[in-house]
Amino acid sequence: MNELFLSYIPKNSPLHRLDPRTKLVALMVISIFVLQTVTFSGLGLFAASFIMLAYFSRVNAGTFSHSIQPMLVFFVFIFLMHLFLTEGEIIFRIGPFRPTFDGLITGTIVTTRFMLLILFASLFTATTRPTMIAYGIERMIRFVPLKRIGISSFDIATMMSLSIRFVPVLLDNARQIRYAQISRGLDIRHNILRSVSTTITPMIRESLQTADDLAIAMESRCYQGKYRTSLFELRMGAMDWGVLGGISCVVFLFFLLR
Amino acid sequence: MRFDHNIMIHINNLSYRYPDGTLTLEGVDISIDRGEFVAIMGPNGCGKTTLVRHLNALLMPTAGSVSVFGMDTKDMSKVWNIRQTVGMVFQNPQTQFVGTTLEEDVAFGPENLGLPQNEIRKRVDRALLEVRLMEYKTHAPKTLSGGQMQRAAIAGVLAMEPECIVFDEVTSMLDPESRQMILDTIQQLHQSGKTIIYVTQRIEEILPLADRIVSMQDGRIEFMGTPHEYLASVGSHVPAITSLMRKLKEKGFDVRDDVFAVDDAFLEIIKACRMVEKENIDDE
Ligand SMILES: Nc1ncnc2c1ncn2[C@@H]1O[C@H](COP(=O)(O)OP(=O)(O)OP(=O)(O)O)[C@@H](O)[C@H]1O
Ligand SMILES: [Mg+2]
Repeated sequence: MNELFLSYIPKNSPLHRLDPRTKLVALMVISIFVLQTVTFSGLGLFAASFIMLAYFSRVNAGTFSHSIQPMLVFFVFIFLMHLFLTEGEIIFRIGPFRPTFDGLITGTIVTTRFMLLILFASLFTATTRPTMIAYGIERMIRFVPLKRIGISSFDIATMMSLSIRFVPVLLDNARQIRYAQISRGLDIRHNILRSVSTTITPMIRESLQTADDLAIAMESRCYQGKYRTSLFELRMGAMDWGVLGGISCVVFLFFLLR
Repeated sequence: MRFDHNIMIHINNLSYRYPDGTLTLEGVDISIDRGEFVAIMGPNGCGKTTLVRHLNALLMPTAGSVSVFGMDTKDMSKVWNIRQTVGMVFQNPQTQFVGTTLEEDVAFGPENLGLPQNEIRKRVDRALLEVRLMEYKTHAPKTLSGGQMQRAAIAGVLAMEPECIVFDEVTSMLDPESRQMILDTIQQLHQSGKTIIYVTQRIEEILPLADRIVSMQDGRIEFMGTPHEYLASVGSHVPAITSLMRKLKEKGFDVRDDVFAVDDAFLEIIKACRMVEKENIDDE
């Protein structure tokens, strides 16, 4: 996967300074509303607010296109599905293919929705340090009684940070193992099944070794999976309360007008 | 239990058997003083890693005991105290780096200790200054070199303010320049009063630094003594400089054969040459 996909871009902007919890709540509310939107004007409104927020975030546009790119195939697929499979007034016929006007409209709306979701998500990750996302989630789920299933909110936060840290490392290992296999004469194109099995076995062994070393290093630095503090203190400022207030107003108005 | 405050670590008749049955350590006795620099050497698989993992309760003795400042490592209530007192730096820089940035990684230990935020900040900054990585503090691991990551690991341990630091072959994956930088940092830490336990395969890198050398073989201690005693008693596995001096002595030159530093060897050789010159003049 592309390294720039949903990556953090350090900048000093009002969006970067917001508490991760505020941004998480905003992202959730926006996502729900985007998924409910059925009109072009509604989607246009969200697109406009995205452009505005992206401008304030000082993150350059390239970052967002990097987040859209890996999903393009998916978007095209969704669009074509709707275009051809929706009942309605037919645009033209070529053999069994009968795209409809209704399909064109729903397809565009659904695809735009997914694009907006990805864009807002990448705006969130671009303006929030990965660990801050983890800490934010940890604080939001701290009251959930997870003890009963044997883990703590701290475990979950640590797991999230570690995934962010180690998924690229494991992918890199996989790539190196593949190169090693190719250099020893394994033809990947002609024997896909074999190439998968010869790559996966060493990969699992390598991953287990990494996990083992990591666990020992964490234990020796006093990791207990219980209460721990953080280098970054989460603090809700005036801006945060303002944003949350604004969101509440919008939600309230929405239900009132409906 | 009474204990001597000058004894950092006491290992008494330690044996260890891995769950799969391999007996890895057998009757190991070592006592390490506070502020001492002890080097542990030996071939692959002789049990060095197994031994040092007992020092902060990552492994528990099968027989015998290990105590840190009088705290028995088998005492479960002391585990966190022991791990705070004895920090450990491992061989692989990648797998001990747990943060998504350098400063987050250094903060990992203090965060686990539950320290308040401003105290964590203070310790992180102090540790980063000490290993000279301050300007990299917001860097992601993929932008750091192996040597920088290994210094980050040292900073991560320093931020827990341990009395003693164990280094398990920390330079084996590094280039010569990074290796020297790590060694300089370790020497500084030793001079500032920390107890150092340094596991290595390279005799030449620790002879000038260590107060005591422990050489292991098949899970037992084969030799223990000062660097000079080591050179005097051990025939093989000595630095190139020492081999050279031994050869010179064999040929009849009047040089000491227990030196390992280039400067010392140089002085010895110069002295021997002058002597030869003088003898020649006297003959004429
Ligand atoms: N988890 C384990 N389970 C079983 N046996 C092990 C385990 N770890 C190590 N051993 C065995 O114990 C012996 C000592 O291993 P150890 O890693 O302590 O040696 P070492 O001196 O550190 O070697 P090296 O120089 O390679 O790091 C080896 O024979 C090894 O195969
Ligand atoms: Mg080892």
